[in-house]
Amino acid sequence: MNDTKNFAVNRRTLMMGATAGVAALAMPSVLRAQDKPTLVTSIRSLSNPYHAVWKTGAEAYAKWAGLEHVTLVSEGNSEKGIADIKAMLAKTGGNMVLNSDPNDTPDARPIVEACAKAGAYVVTQWNKPGDLHPKDFNPNYVSHIEFDGIDSGKTIAEILFKTIGGKGGIVALGGLISTTAAIERKKGLDAALAANPDIKLLDFQVANWKSTEAFDLMGNLLTRFGDDIKGIWAANDDMGSGALEALRAENLAGKVPIVGVDGIKTAVDAVRTGEFACTVTSDPFWQGGMGLAIGYNAKIGKFDPTKEPPEHREFYGKAVLISHDNVEEYYKTNVDAKPEIDWNDLWGRVTGAIRT
Amino acid sequence: MTIHTEPLKSVSDIERTTPMTPFPGRIATFLGGRRWRSLAPLAVLIVLCVLIAIANPNFIELRNLVRLANSAAVPLTLAMGLTFIILMGSIDLAVEGTLSVAAMVLVLLAANDGNGNDYGWWAVLAAIAAGTAMGFVSGLIQTMLRIPSFMGTLGMWFIGLGLSVYMLGGTAIKLNDASIRDLALHRFLGLPVAVWVAFGAFLLATVIQYHTKLGRHILAIGGDEDVAKLSGVNVVRVRITAFALAGFFFGIAGVLAAAQLGQSHAVIGDGRLFAAVTAVVVGGTALTGGEGGVVNTLIGVLIVTVLANGMILLGISPYIQQTVQGLMIIAAVALSLDRVRLKIVK
Repeated sequence: MNDTKNFAVNRRTLMMGATAGVAALAMPSVLRAQDKPTLVTSIRSLSNPYHAVWKTGAEAYAKWAGLEHVTLVSEGNSEKGIADIKAMLAKTGGNMVLNSDPNDTPDARPIVEACAKAGAYVVTQWNKPGDLHPKDFNPNYVSHIEFDGIDSGKTIAEILFKTIGGKGGIVALGGLISTTAAIERKKGLDAALAANPDIKLLDFQVANWKSTEAFDLMGNLLTRFGDDIKGIWAANDDMGSGALEALRAENLAGKVPIVGVDGIKTAVDAVRTGEFACTVTSDPFWQGGMGLAIGYNAKIGKFDPTKEPPEHREFYGKAVLISHDNVEEYYKTNVDAKPEIDWNDLWGRVTGAIRT
Repeated sequence: MTIHTEPLKSVSDIERTTPMTPFPGRIATFLGGRRWRSLAPLAVLIVLCVLIAIANPNFIELRNLVRLANSAAVPLTLAMGLTFIILMGSIDLAVEGTLSVAAMVLVLLAANDGNGNDYGWWAVLAAIAAGTAMGFVSGLIQTMLRIPSFMGTLGMWFIGLGLSVYMLGGTAIKLNDASIRDLALHRFLGLPVAVWVAFGAFLLATVIQYHTKLGRHILAIGGDEDVAKLSGVNVVRVRITAFALAGFFFGIAGVLAAAQLGQSHAVIGDGRLFAAVTAVVVGGTALTGGEGGVVNTLIGVLIVTVLANGMILLGISPYIQQTVQGLMIIAAVALSLDRVRLKIVK
């Protein structure tokens, strides 16, 4: 009798225990799925230094926040970029935070719409149509981040002009004609030229963002203008470094200062040796991490996107200037070591709402 | 079994009697036919040089000629390799991928800022070997798997690109070996060493094309593969060797490109395929194979380089430079190719 009773009790205990056990095992995984969204980075390619650093920033943030992180690469193919994001939305059931650098301007709309429909939170950077606004997709479309190309182009131009003593001829190397960044940075150069009548723009040529093209182009420009070239303005560092090698082949490296944008390692090294006068960077490490941080904090309710001011929804980030004055410091904290960024300081680099 | 006793008409006879001769072809025939046409690229080059020199005398300055030679070095080396493939009537689209692999191998094995290696000139040998191996694989794919060179080498292009993206981790790696950088920076008799290397590549290609069995077999395959096969040419072996040879030249070009830029990143080859094909075709080598050669290609490379240089010297707006290049390609091909012999234009 006792044995049977004990067995019955034991069986009931066993069954209840098992049920509780299953429930206990199941619940945290449900809770975990609700608590911990997947962080997703969507970028163009991993074959350029810029996006490679972007990815390390994203990974650094994910590690800091203790979250799972996935990188999607569109390889410059808009359809693939959007399809991959939709696949991730399906896989996570919408429980994800996306930080996207859309391959092309029109891509931003389908990406944002898909995220809003699935309940995911999204931050876009650089490219979006003018009539697409975060506030139209509350609360899922948290923010859009850009960097003021006019400001970058103007800042580096002014430093270049100062370096060559305020007068003389310069040549300029532009990026791919049809891209916004190329157009804006040139506008900045034009503004700086207008303010400095003693500086003459000898020629503006296009090297399509590439060092190889800039290398050949610079050789030809040296033929045409020779010693009249006192400085070189490049719309990005890669072209600037191509121009630098063309100068080096003629023993002119360091004698004709170059300025660029992006802050790639080659350019930072050149600032240290004095061959570049300066470069500015949008800090892709920060972009990769902070885009996710802003989305994640909105997702877990740390702040309510609908109550944020407009300059937190669509804003220009602060570009970091790297010149002779701060290059050693920058090198120590950003090149030798992984940069330390305060991921709780969501709005520290907001410089204002985006011009419309 | 009957034996044909009627003598075969020579190709030129057929050509002259074709009633459908297109108009420009007729003019060319009138002016001296194929001989005139084969000189067309050279004439274009001379006219181009004279026009640019009139517009801007800086063009014939020694310094500019050195720069011209310098910027022709990499395209020339690439186009040398590609010429053999096009002569066979095939195409090698793996130019950019192979160049990028060779440049990647070079910077990763020589002194660089990404890892601790420092194998000096062994890195150069390894880079050229890597290029040759890529070409060898392209040849195997074409002959053993029987995949058309267009598709096979397209695949190799992306394999090469992917490989160097992976190995370089997406960043640009700096080349710190001073003796290798001297290829671009050191001058011998007033010309950068890279130019001498490219000239050496040209001489080598000339010897291969005109003085070896391989060169003649390549030409024969391009002319008519069936006839070549019947006359005992080992087509498979020649094709594989030709692709490996092209890879060898692409490897050298990769070394030169990395030395010039002082760094390598995965996209170091961007746009080189188009430039190389343009140079080969503008020089008068037919895409259908069997016609032209490395001397034509030398002229083609010079035309393309002089044109790019000239447009900058003349201050032509960057917005229309590409259009001018396109017009130039069509004009040069129209003048130089013996299109009369083409029965079908695809």
